[in-house]
Amino acid sequence: MIRKILLIALVFVSFQMEGQQKKFQFNGAARGYYFANELDIDEAIDTLTTRKANYGHTLVDLGISLYPDKNTEIIAMFRIRNDLGGFWGGGTSFNVRQLSLKGVAGGVVRYELGDIDIKMTPYTLFNTQEEGIVNEADVFALRRKIVHYDMFYNDENMWRMQGAQVGFGLEFARGIKAIDIQGFFTRQRPTDGIAVPERVYGGGSLKIHQSKHLSVGLNSVNIFDLKETIPDSIQFKNSVHTADLSYMMSLTSAMQIGVKGEAGMSSSEYINYQDTRAPDELTDWFYDAALVLGVKPIGIEVVVGFKDVGADFRSPGSQTKRINYAKFPAVYQQFTNDAIGRPMSYADVISGNTENSFRISEELMSYNAAYNNTTPYGLATPNRRGVYLEATRNDSSLFRRTFVQIAALTQSRGTGTMEKMNFILAEAGTDLYLNDLVGWKKEIKLGLGLRYENSSRSGEEYETANLNSTLFDLGLSVEFVKGMDLMLGAKLWNVHGNAFVNERDRYNTIENFDIIELDMVENTYAGGLRYRFNEKNSLSAQYQLFEIKHGDDQLADYGMSQFTFLLSLSF
Amino acid sequence: MKQLFIFTMVMLAFSGCRKEDNEMVDGPNLNDLFGPFSIVEDLVISHTEIDFGVDAFVFYSGELSKNTDWNIHFTGSQTGATRTISGFDRVLSIDNAAWNGGANTFPGFGLEEVYIEVHFPNEEDAPVLYDTVSVLGLKQDEGYLITSFENGTGTNWVPFNQTTVVGGIVCGNGESAKGDCHYSFGGTVGWDWAIGSISVQNDEGTFGLPTSATNLYFNMGFKALENVGPTNSFIQFWFDEDENGDGVFDPASEDRFLYEYWSNGSEWDLISFVYGGLQFDAEGSQVDTNGNGLPEPSKLIAINVFYLANPENGFSSALVDHLIFTTNSPYTP
Repeated sequence: MIRKILLIALVFVSFQMEGQQKKFQFNGAARGYYFANELDIDEAIDTLTTRKANYGHTLVDLGISLYPDKNTEIIAMFRIRNDLGGFWGGGTSFNVRQLSLKGVAGGVVRYELGDIDIKMTPYTLFNTQEEGIVNEADVFALRRKIVHYDMFYNDENMWRMQGAQVGFGLEFARGIKAIDIQGFFTRQRPTDGIAVPERVYGGGSLKIHQSKHLSVGLNSVNIFDLKETIPDSIQFKNSVHTADLSYMMSLTSAMQIGVKGEAGMSSSEYINYQDTRAPDELTDWFYDAALVLGVKPIGIEVVVGFKDVGADFRSPGSQTKRINYAKFPAVYQQFTNDAIGRPMSYADVISGNTENSFRISEELMSYNAAYNNTTPYGLATPNRRGVYLEATRNDSSLFRRTFVQIAALTQSRGTGTMEKMNFILAEAGTDLYLNDLVGWKKEIKLGLGLRYENSSRSGEEYETANLNSTLFDLGLSVEFVKGMDLMLGAKLWNVHGNAFVNERDRYNTIENFDIIELDMVENTYAGGLRYRFNEKNSLSAQYQLFEIKHGDDQLADYGMSQFTFLLSLSF
Repeated sequence: MKQLFIFTMVMLAFSGCRKEDNEMVDGPNLNDLFGPFSIVEDLVISHTEIDFGVDAFVFYSGELSKNTDWNIHFTGSQTGATRTISGFDRVLSIDNAAWNGGANTFPGFGLEEVYIEVHFPNEEDAPVLYDTVSVLGLKQDEGYLITSFENGTGTNWVPFNQTTVVGGIVCGNGESAKGDCHYSFGGTVGWDWAIGSISVQNDEGTFGLPTSATNLYFNMGFKALENVGPTNSFIQFWFDEDENGDGVFDPASEDRFLYEYWSNGSEWDLISFVYGGLQFDAEGSQVDTNGNGLPEPSKLIAINVFYLANPENGFSSALVDHLIFTTNSPYTP
């Protein structure tokens, strides 16, 4: 009897707890980050640059989620940042990091206003990951995660924008399983009232899921300047319309086969521009189609595809780079006794000393051919066509997340010559869990990654190009005490050859070529200790050593060492 | 396996749908930027002797290995006249490398040997090519020639020179802007700006110019030799129109339009302006005249070329030559 009473009381209490509507919730993150840099450069070429640069900050991102009703959420996040060395308010900033309202109207339409994260397809709107990541060591990933967090880059390749998005889904009893409809409208840029018109970006998609086997979608994104926001009547417009398809079927109980792909076209217009370099209209198309084969028992998926992205295909939402390589790094911007600008190194990319994109760019941004010459603008890189193969194996007893990617691409239109550039890109990586090999419970993860790229063009002596770039992306994480990791990592670039880098004007027209002769080794080594309080919170101390050496005596060899201390908390 | 075959066929169909752009190239031509320079087909001049009255052009033909900048310089052996033709082409032909006998500016070419040099300024190891052409006949000017002072003074011309000034037509000293003769002023006039003038009139009536003034240019060569500079000497033109058609200019009731041009160097200047523009001053206001105030070139009966110079600077000297009207564009020597 007592047990029955207790059971009834427990159920009653549970109902009471569920019935109480949660009104608000706190969340956020905090960190303390300290850097101690030291430049290592020969005194014979640089006696001017101060060798040491130390800086750091602490910050708190305090987020509040308010729930006026069960279908509405208001999110506000404030950032309080204090640069180390600024006491009593000096160097302190207080910003609104996020403000958004979202909910479900009528129980049907999802809506979101304010700061929103959006992604569509790789050829319409897609925040492509920066170059130089094959199978990155934890010691690098830990710091890169901070940069991504600050810039709102996430693993789902979304762009953070300001505007509104709505979406809803329809389910059907027969014929079609479901339809998802999504639309968004964002403000990309305010006008200055003089020469820069206000720019907006909008689009949407319609996804039809016929069954669990077949899905088709229509996607459209459009960027355009608003008329009459400046005295002049110039207006930039770009539209990308695509259709995508995915069809999978079972060959056997263990084997699946299917096709997936996307095709579409773009159109760019420069209306009423006085500049004669501005093209009136630029249109082109692309397709990317692949055969997919999955073998479930061994966790293997193989994708073989063809793609052809036209030379004039322009999709700012998917071609914008995260890093602007035209800018100099934030630390040691100039060096040597000639005070030349220090080019961006990969150590700067890891440390976040780069200028990162927070809005999409209609200009094809500068890139470093040493790091990525094949697909500098992601999958939507224009003027590329060819075949690719991707094979992944998610799990095995010893190797996990093993992958191989190979692409053999060529230009569809020559640049500066009728001879076409050819590209071969191969990436492979795996995580080897050595603890499984020796039967230890604590993780010993060896991460292996290799990227090889060759860009070549035959022809006359003045037009031949041959650039080889190799990256070894290696890491080791050893949990030697519960929650305590020893982390080691290396990124070893080896680049030799020559390349013709496109110099484009603001309308993306190639106006010249920069011939670069590369004979360099750029190595970054890092080691550190991390203590994980739990899955989200950790304390780490790292030491990173970077060096770059050129075969060309005209280019400065130098190195940088960096000690970092990072306390990262999420709540 | 049937499905696999179908999928493979679909993929192969896609792969056949590929873009191949073999007609367009993005960006500047690499051969032009970085390719080696050579003369693929010798650059050959079309004439060694030329009468521009018969053959309109002297031109080069030939082919280079790349599009590159080239300059062809023509220099008169006696007049010192020069002409430069420039281009950025791989193939040289009558379309882009032709010379019509004209000069860049005054002086113009005479009946003389003309030395030619072909340069490729952006090609370090490129040769300089040399040629000579003999000019047997001059370029035919397009326009309404008033005088080039080649045939002496007209019966109705009115010269004026201060008592200390020597003014008149000079021939054969190689100083002319065009042809063999020009008009010269020289002397010291310490009491007045006026040095001298020459009023050019037709032997009979007007000059036979068209009625429209809006696209009619007046042109003349002017060379200040002494007392030079934009505050020191100038030419003042008087354009007298016989509005009532009686064959005589009446300053009390007919239009006299004035135009001034100050010297700015001691080389030949080409003075060119639209005749219709004489109706307004620099501020765009109607000028004061005693006639109807409209420039009417068909009624022009006299052009007075008046040389004035600062009396405080001592000796003053200047040359004028080749008074000519052209339509639609300024004169090209």
